[in-house]
Amino acid sequence: MLSRRDVMAGVAASVALSRPIVSAAAADAVTFGLNPLFLDSDIQLLSMMQTYLVKQLGRPVQLVKRRTYQEITAMLLSGQLDAAWICDDPYVQHEDQLALLAVPLYRHEPLYQTYVIVGQESKANSFDDIKGTVHAFSDPDSTSGYLVTRYLLALRHATPAEFFREFFFTYGHRNVVRAVAAGLAGSGSIDGYVWDVMSEREPELIKRTRVIYRSESLGFPPIVGLQTPRDSGLAKALSAAFMGMPSDPLGREILAMLQLDGFTQATPDLYHATQEKWLVVKAQV
Amino acid sequence: MATIARTGSWPLVWKVPLLVAGLMVGIAVMISQVVLSRLASDQENNLRQLTDAYLDGLSAAVLQPAIRADVWETFDALDRARNHYSGVDARFVVVELPDKKILASSDPTRFPVRSAVPGELARHFPEANGLVIDNDAGRAWLVRTLRVEGYSVGRILAEIDIAELLRVRRDVLLTLILANGALTVAFAAIGYWALKRMLQPLSVLSNYVEHVREGRVEPIPEGSQRKIAAEFRRLFDRFNAMARALSERETLASHLAEQEKYAVLGKLASGMAHEVSNPLGGLFNALDTLRRHGTDPSVRDSTLNLLERGLTHIRNVVRSTLVIYRLEASNHSAGAADIDDLRLLIEPEAARKNIDLDWMNEIHGKLPVAVGSVRQATLNLLINACAATPAGGVVTLRAIEENYSLMIEVGDEGPGLPAVLAKYLVAEADETTPEGNGLGLWIVRRLVADEGGSIRVDRERNAGTLISVTWPFREERILENDKDALSGEDFVHAG
Repeated sequence: MLSRRDVMAGVAASVALSRPIVSAAAADAVTFGLNPLFLDSDIQLLSMMQTYLVKQLGRPVQLVKRRTYQEITAMLLSGQLDAAWICDDPYVQHEDQLALLAVPLYRHEPLYQTYVIVGQESKANSFDDIKGTVHAFSDPDSTSGYLVTRYLLALRHATPAEFFREFFFTYGHRNVVRAVAAGLAGSGSIDGYVWDVMSEREPELIKRTRVIYRSESLGFPPIVGLQTPRDSGLAKALSAAFMGMPSDPLGREILAMLQLDGFTQATPDLYHATQEKWLVVKAQV
Repeated sequence: MATIARTGSWPLVWKVPLLVAGLMVGIAVMISQVVLSRLASDQENNLRQLTDAYLDGLSAAVLQPAIRADVWETFDALDRARNHYSGVDARFVVVELPDKKILASSDPTRFPVRSAVPGELARHFPEANGLVIDNDAGRAWLVRTLRVEGYSVGRILAEIDIAELLRVRRDVLLTLILANGALTVAFAAIGYWALKRMLQPLSVLSNYVEHVREGRVEPIPEGSQRKIAAEFRRLFDRFNAMARALSERETLASHLAEQEKYAVLGKLASGMAHEVSNPLGGLFNALDTLRRHGTDPSVRDSTLNLLERGLTHIRNVVRSTLVIYRLEASNHSAGAADIDDLRLLIEPEAARKNIDLDWMNEIHGKLPVAVGSVRQATLNLLINACAATPAGGVVTLRAIEENYSLMIEVGDEGPGLPAVLAKYLVAEADETTPEGNGLGLWIVRRLVADEGGSIRVDRERNAGTLISVTWPFREERILENDKDALSGEDFVHAG
């Protein structure tokens, strides 16, 4: 396991923020984990979010990023992070240990979809048409980037190795778009929310891909803390900070950048569909 | 050979610039060869260094993904490297696993994951690490094996577009051709201009030499000598010295000619005195006879006849002399009598030397030639002929009209005119007077030349000399004569 010192050094090295996030001496710093969202264009967003959280919490905040979802989940569960914005898949896997602090509102609902995309030139029109292609997954712990596709395969009694000619993980939704757009992969599994946001931010890249499958609506990746936090006051404060974003100018800027409407409180029921899929896949394995 | 002979006679003004241009072209070709081969080798070295650096960077980026056979990370590394190496224009980069299957490439649609590099393309790549350059195709192929602890975990294959390098070579070649071409033309033009300027004094000198040939000896004026090279200044100075000498000589020669004229005059005067004194004795005798036997009518009549004949002879002698020296200048036509007069003048000399005169004057009427020139030149020739002919010999004169000109032949039986004098007389030699007493000939030549006439000398060894002089009719007189001829009137009577 990584030590706290390693975490700090890693953050300092990997996230080149414009100002020091936290000093090693700041023992009371809030540590907040983030999964890669848009990754390549996240720097400004992270900086704004840190500023916002510092202002809201009145404490130093350390944002922690890792390459895989698994790393963030592990850090959260082992108590190295106070809270994290994680995918719904890890949440349903560890629902008993995690508490929902806030859930984003996308198009006024705490929901999103999984998309399966192909290259613009591809003749595929349905999920079954992508059989035999090279497939790009996002992350093994991602609902949209893995679990949903894996679930669809399980329904067909197939594994990725059987169904696809080749598959690989890109550890980022944006990378799935790049892989499919470049022709490295013939198809890809991606977060529908990310694809929609990218279609406005990077239309040239998105134009080279086409959605052939949209899943039902699933619970949006939540902001979670541990069920039994060291500091329950912090959990409440974090929840309040996210909930209050629409009423703060910087918060509104962040929401605008994320193309979210705000945050809401939610119960674990929201992730029922995700959990169901996870159970099906788990049963197959 | 013919071409060489022709080029050999080309003017310097062309030859030197052409030579300069030729040398420049030779140098340009040589320099271009050296520059281009040096450029090509520099470019190749540069390309090797660049591709080495490129492959070092790529290897570092794809080594770990290759160990894990991570398709995305490998592609991501290749994709990000695409614009990081400005000196290397990679058409494609492929990372191949040890099983020869493609892990990822910069162009996945052309080289799909898990496929093999097409054999046709694969044969371009070297077996070991290295670079293969194909200038004709404008491509280079690179191979770098990815090694970890001595084990190969894959290879990087890259095709590089070297069209830019070849374009630079073409540009350099074009620049060389243009620059050297411009320099060659400029140098040739400057050479032409400079040489033309340098040789300009030669054309000045040539003009003045031509003046000399035409008989106008004049020095080159100071104005033409400004800003000329020292060599030409010396040449001009020498020419001017020569021109002055020639001019002085000319003056001296005409002075001598004048003296010779007086000498001839003296000779004639003495001949005339002799002619006059011969009958004078008879006349005095006749006077004496008249005084003593004048009363006898038969004696008186025959004595008076004798007196008349003697006085007539004296009158004729005096008249012909007067005609030669007084009337000739204004008289522009010559008749038979003008030539026959000369017989009176030469006869005493001929008689003195016991030489017979064979006189054939076939002129009728007046001819439009300068009588002074005809008479003086003919008289000089006759004097020379009498001088050359031994006692008892014959001097001949023949005057005829022929082809709108008057021709007079004077023959002698002397030892023959020396070749140098003959040559001089017909104006084949230059205008210098030959050594010795050739002044009479100089006068003849000048008189004839002034009238546009010509002289021919026929010389037989030990058989004397025949000199023929031709005076062309003066133009205005010919025209007048033609007019007269048209009007049916004989120009003789008209004159």
